[in-house]
Amino acid sequence: MAMAALRREGRRFAPLMSHNPINAVRSSLISEELAPQGARSISTQVVRNRMKSVKNIQKITKAMKMVAASKLRAIQTRAENSRGLWQPFSALLGDTPSVDVKKNVIVTVSSDKGLCGGINSTSVKISRALHKLNAGPEKEAKYVVVGEKAKAQLIRDSRKDIELSITELQKNPLNYTQVAVLADDILKNVEYDALRIVFNKFHSVVQYYPTIATVLSPEVVEREAESGGKLGELDSYEIEGGETKAEVLQNLTEFQFGCVLYNAILENATSEQGARMSAMDSSSRNAGDMLDRLTLTYNRTRQASITTELIEIISGASALEG
Amino acid sequence: MASAAGSTAAVPFWRAAGMTYISYSNICASLVRSCLKEPHKTEALNREKVHFAVSKWADGKAEKPTLRSDTPGE
Repeated sequence: MAMAALRREGRRFAPLMSHNPINAVRSSLISEELAPQGARSISTQVVRNRMKSVKNIQKITKAMKMVAASKLRAIQTRAENSRGLWQPFSALLGDTPSVDVKKNVIVTVSSDKGLCGGINSTSVKISRALHKLNAGPEKEAKYVVVGEKAKAQLIRDSRKDIELSITELQKNPLNYTQVAVLADDILKNVEYDALRIVFNKFHSVVQYYPTIATVLSPEVVEREAESGGKLGELDSYEIEGGETKAEVLQNLTEFQFGCVLYNAILENATSEQGARMSAMDSSSRNAGDMLDRLTLTYNRTRQASITTELIEIISGASALEG
Repeated sequence: MASAAGSTAAVPFWRAAGMTYISYSNICASLVRSCLKEPHKTEALNREKVHFAVSKWADGKAEKPTLRSDTPGE
């Protein structure tokens, strides 16, 4: 890269001597790029400017990494605590992603802000795969999109299948009330037999797993209970309070959706901060590498210009003497 | 006591009014939060802030988003 820069600067002199007008234009373009107007010797200005901007970028990405790290710490404990909300539900009602229903709703959880690595793309990829899996002659799949980034990606090819889109969720710190109102909105506005929530489960700062959590509607739970398995054991539970099994199932599935969605949104937010941390870290490392290479170029250019000046002075002096 | 025979069972008052279980439990929770004393009350009310923008889509077009920015207590 340094050699290419020197070659470019050397070529600056040659086209100036040719009479071809195209070459003259090109040479002026080249000299504009390499040195400011009116500079007499090889100038290091351009390289210096580039070094300054790369250094600023490095500082900014380092700061973003620190911010993401602090946010991660705060939200990680909350996400881990919220796991206890839906685990009893999975123990009771099971999580059966292989259930075959007519109306599938895919809830894709993503972030509003960018610069967070590949988490949103993986969520969208999985949602699309789910959609393909669940769209057949009698079945259909619709999207409920949480977050700007997934909305932007899903608009491109699945516009017709989007039912709801939710943004600006993270303006206030995430809390259960907010997610509950959101879940309420979804339940009221969307008809579903099975809700499949796609999110990124947080494992560690550098590792997150794309996950699908399935919540069934009460009718489907009834249907699956008849075919046995975990849901078939529901009848062995005693129901207090004089409610029917159907009512209890309805309350349970609604509450299950609220809890699972809360956990999904928290885990996704944690994964987002973790992914942003590692993205900004690799970005500042790349900026550091770029800075090293530019420094080498700068030094070589500087030494070359000093040598050129020396040669000119000495040859001028020897011409005077001789 | 209402009989537990199928669809003739009396639904609870909130289900008949169109609420889901989630909204019912939310209202109960906000009632409990407003029973607290200071300073715990303000901390708890901070946990109730809701803000998001939801827009329904029809035919591949998004309608104007409705901003659900409630003050605490729904």
